[in-house]
Order: sequence, then C-alpha cells, then structure tokens
Amino acid sequence: MKKILVANRGEIALRIMKSIKKMGIKTVAVYSEPDKQALHVQYADEAVCLGEAASAKSYLNMDKIIDYAKKLGVDGIHPGYGFLSENAVFAEKVEAAGITFIGPTPEAITLMGSKLAAKDCVKHYNIPMVPGVDHAIDDIAEAKKVAEEIGFPILIKASAGGGGKGMRIVEKQEEFVEQMERAISEAVSAFGDGSVFIEKYVSSPRHIEVQVLGDKHGNIVHLFERECSIQRRHQKVIEEAPSGILTPEKRQAMGEAAVKVAKSCNYVGAGTVEFLVDANLDFYFLEMNTRLQVEHPVTEMITGIDLVEEQIRIARGEKLRIKQEDLKINGHAMELRVYAEDPLNEFLPSVGHINRYVRPTGDGVRLDDAYEEGMEIPIFYDPMIAKLATHGPTRIEAIQKMKQAIADYEIEGFATTLPFGTFVMDHPAFISAQFDTHFVKNYFSKEQSVEWQKGKARKAALLALAHWKSRKNIIKAPEVSNFSWKKR
Amino acid sequence: MSEQKIVVNSEGFEFAFSEEEIDAIEILKTDEENISIVENSESYSGTIESKEGRNYRVKMGGEDFVVKIKNSLDQIIDNMGLSKPKTHKLKSIKAPMPGLVIEINLVEGQEVKENEKLLILEAMKMENVIKIPHDAIIKKVCVGKGQAVDKGQVLIELE
Repeated sequence: MKKILVANRGEIALRIMKSIKKMGIKTVAVYSEPDKQALHVQYADEAVCLGEAASAKSYLNMDKIIDYAKKLGVDGIHPGYGFLSENAVFAEKVEAAGITFIGPTPEAITLMGSKLAAKDCVKHYNIPMVPGVDHAIDDIAEAKKVAEEIGFPILIKASAGGGGKGMRIVEKQEEFVEQMERAISEAVSAFGDGSVFIEKYVSSPRHIEVQVLGDKHGNIVHLFERECSIQRRHQKVIEEAPSGILTPEKRQAMGEAAVKVAKSCNYVGAGTVEFLVDANLDFYFLEMNTRLQVEHPVTEMITGIDLVEEQIRIARGEKLRIKQEDLKINGHAMELRVYAEDPLNEFLPSVGHINRYVRPTGDGVRLDDAYEEGMEIPIFYDPMIAKLATHGPTRIEAIQKMKQAIADYEIEGFATTLPFGTFVMDHPAFISAQFDTHFVKNYFSKEQSVEWQKGKARKAALLALAHWKSRKNIIKAPEVSNFSWKKR
Repeated sequence: MSEQKIVVNSEGFEFAFSEEEIDAIEILKTDEENISIVENSESYSGTIESKEGRNYRVKMGGEDFVVKIKNSLDQIIDNMGLSKPKTHKLKSIKAPMPGLVIEINLVEGQEVKENEKLLILEAMKMENVIKIPHDAIIKKVCVGKGQAVDKGQVLIELE
C-alpha cells in the first residue's frame, strides 16, 4: 500500500493518518465545506472536498469518495469509526473499485451489523445472551405487545444502530409509544432503517467489551477488555482498561468468548465484542462492532500495540505478529471523551468558538484531538472535541494522572465534559470500581450535579474571600498606628 | 457584635458568611495570584486569574469561577427587596442548544397544556422533545420545520 484515504474527519482522521505516516504511506483526507480549515485536512498529504456540511452530502457520499480515491491513485481506504465504517455496501464498493478496504469483509459487517443475525450466528458457540425478541419490529402496536410480554423496563434499539442513536430505555408502559416513535424516527434519519429490536433491560449492568484482532489467515487474538460503564444518554464518556472488577478467570472466559464470536463470522481486522456484565459477573453477548472503537487508546496503552498499524498490516495480508500467549496487561489506562456538552445542563450540546485551548502534557498523558484555539465546533457532527487518555502502573495512578491532566487542559468558550471527568475520578464508587451504567443517573442527576457545582462554587467563594481578607489586612496595616487611639 | 453577614455570589450561587466563619478560614499560603486555605480540615487552593475590586475570577482544578463579594450597599439594596421576584410563567420558549427543528405543529392562539410536546429539535443527531413546563397559549411561532436555530433563539412566544 502506497496511499491511503481516510474517509472520516476530526480527531480520528488525524489519529489514523499519524499511524499511516509512521508506516511511510501517503495520506489523503476528505472534508466537507465547513471542515476546510480542519487539522486533518492540513495534516494529510492530499485533501479533497466532498461537498456540503450535511453528512449525507459529504462524509457519507460513497461514490464521490471512491471516485476521488481512484483519481488520486489511492490503494487503501480507512473508514475510521462512525460514518461509513460499518457500511457493508461501502466496503463492497471499495473492493469492487480495486481498492483495499481497511476493515472486515462486507459479509462480516452485514452479519454483525444486524443484531438479530449476529445473535443467530453466535448461538452455536454457547455464548450467553439477554432475553428479547428474535426479529426486528417497525410496527408500534406489535412492539407494544412484545414489550408488555417481556416486561418493563425494556430497551429499544435500532436494528441498524450504534453509538446510542435510536436507543431508548422505557421504564413504564405509558411512555412506550412516544419513546418508540422517537427511536424509530431517529433510526430512520440516522441509518435509513426504522426497524428496532426490543429486549429486557438488565438492571445494574456493566458494559465491558473485548478488543479482538483477526488476520486473513484465520488467526484471531484478543487484547483484553475495556470497561465502558460510565455513560450518559447510553453513550460512553469514560472508559478504562483493564476493568477494575474482572478476575483473571473471568477475563480469560470473556476473551475466549470474544474470539469465538470473531471466529463465527471469520472476522478480519480490529473488532470489538461487547458484553453486558451483571452484578454476579455473569456476561451476556450484546453485539460486535466491526470497526475501530473510539476508546481504542486505552487498549493501546496497556498492550503497547498500535491498533491502526495492525489494521493496515492485516489489510495488506500480513500474518498477525502477536500471539495470544505473548500478550500481557501493562498497568492501567483511563480515557475521558471530551465533548462540547454541558454536564450541568443534562449534557446538552454546547458548541461554539474555542477562545482558549491549552493541551495537557506529561508522562503517560495522551491526547487525541483535532482542534486549535480560534476554531469553531461545527453543529453538524458529533460534539466530541478530544479523547484524553492517561496511563499509570496502577489504576489509582491512572486516576491521579487523569485528574491532573484534566486540570491542565484548558478549553474556554463553552462547557465541556472535563469537570464531569473530575467528578467521576473523585467519586468513591468509581475509585472502588463499584459502579454500573447507571452511574450518571445514580450520582449525577440534575439536582446532584447542581449540588456538586454549588459545593465547588462555595470553595471558590471562600478562596476569594480569604484572598480579599489577606489583601485587606495588608492594605490596612498602616492603620495599626491609629489602633490605640480608636480604643480610647 | 452585629449579625452582619458577608454575601458572596459565586457562579450564580449566593453564600452568606459570618465574620466568625471568615476569621476561621486558615490561610496556608497567599500572594497576588495564589491562595491555599484550610476549612474544616479540608485544604484547597486556587489561582486568582483576575481581580477588579471585589470581583474575582478564581481558577480551581482547571475550572474558572466568577466570584463577586458584595459590599454592604449591595446587601442593603437586596434586603430592601428591590431585586425582582421570580416569574413563574414563561414569556417564550428558547432553544436550549443549537439544532435543527424537525417537527413543529403549532398555530397562534393554540392552548397547550403542561408537559405537552411543542416541537422536536435535533442536535448532534439526537432528537430532543421540547415540552411546555406549564399551561399556556401560543402567541407566535417564530421558527419553522427544517430551520436551524442557535442556542437561546426564541422558538415560540407565549401569551
């Protein structure tokens, strides 16, 4: 491979290009009109504009991307995550154009992209699963009946979904119809497919996933787990590797299950097998993500493996360089997704202009970002600004480093999830690793977040008062000579 | 001794400290820019980013706080009850975030009940239902389906 086009934007496009450049391969960026000044465009050897802001007219425009790739003599396309990364049609079209798709086969994408087909496929491997319907539904009346049979709370998931889009928990029957309508509508606009999947919602669940790598010669290894239970709106916001609760036996069992899932679809490339883990550490297969994950840096930090480089080597047809028995966990890594969102306003997007931007640095600190001071965060795409990751010899050291890195990271102009990161790193439930996906609901409700903010505001008030008092005393010092006179 | 308390507004929150409380703050270290204190055996520190009179910008743990120490005149005005009481009814519905209006079915003069759906705003690919917090009558619909709106933009005016 001599030239790779990265069909993505933002921090992930930049992160992928860095690995490509390191391997001595040329890079091609694609961009939409509002992304003209973006860092991934500046970094690439070549760049082409795809069109208007709307994803459908730019980053999702398969034919345009492939046409440009052919024109520029590109021999590999990396889709990143989101956008076209799990689109089998795109993978097929890329291969049909004589270009290597850096990812799994279209068959594996299709199979694992349909949650129902995926469950059907892995059934034969004795992998445990959560109770639910075995077919996708787009009829509200039928869905309601099914939901009542399974019993509330239930989870509605877009059949073609991912990233929390088209996903809703319904606690009560009365809310069902409205939530179902929203889920279908979101699924239609995000994926063009309104069918959803309904399953029992496991309470006290943890979300733990296993990274796998498979080559074109049938070798598959797992690179341990990532704990992704700290979520808001069913989307991950803090991840870590390894999990703070798995025993070596469970880790091995989950790793082996993940390898079996990958084998079931002859998986090639980097993939992630997601499991739901309950309070007893029993695990259930959720789905397989047939792409690089946002949270891949924590795995890279504990294994020392560059997953993007491995993806490219696998796509070139090379055999895996690593064997399962050679893989070891080195220390602990934390990741915070820095979103342009206001944690004090239910994590609503808070985009705007970056007035000040200072990156954290230091040993064991990694920042994957694509913004600079003076840039705008566009409203058309995901509000993620950066991924901040830290690595330490132990979990507690990784937490301490994360706290320091958050304090050193200056972003001004709008609210971000940085203060929420501090909240989590300081929280006893997080420190003791005893938490589940309800962390935000349990500890960071609207009222609790306001109380927390008030506590910090009070400390800041005391600091200002103390400073004011100490200065006042200094200024007043000459008055001491009048003191005895006053007393008289 | 007077019961006069010093009122401090920090990030919109109001705190009243007695002189005894302020005297109890133990200052560990301070100079023009830095301050470390101990209160109830908990120690914390911050940086004074800027200071204009009694208006401070304090940086603590990477976060900025706007702190205003009110002088006695401010307090007298507040005590006289001149500060406005809270309004209970909204005059308009504003966009809580920038986004795209993907559904809106309202007419002027329409009556809406508490918690009724007003419109759906899509931001960052998530659909958010904007509801009315109290019964109201629609005075004016300021936006239409498919329109992009900025944070704080008036979407609907109410009677």
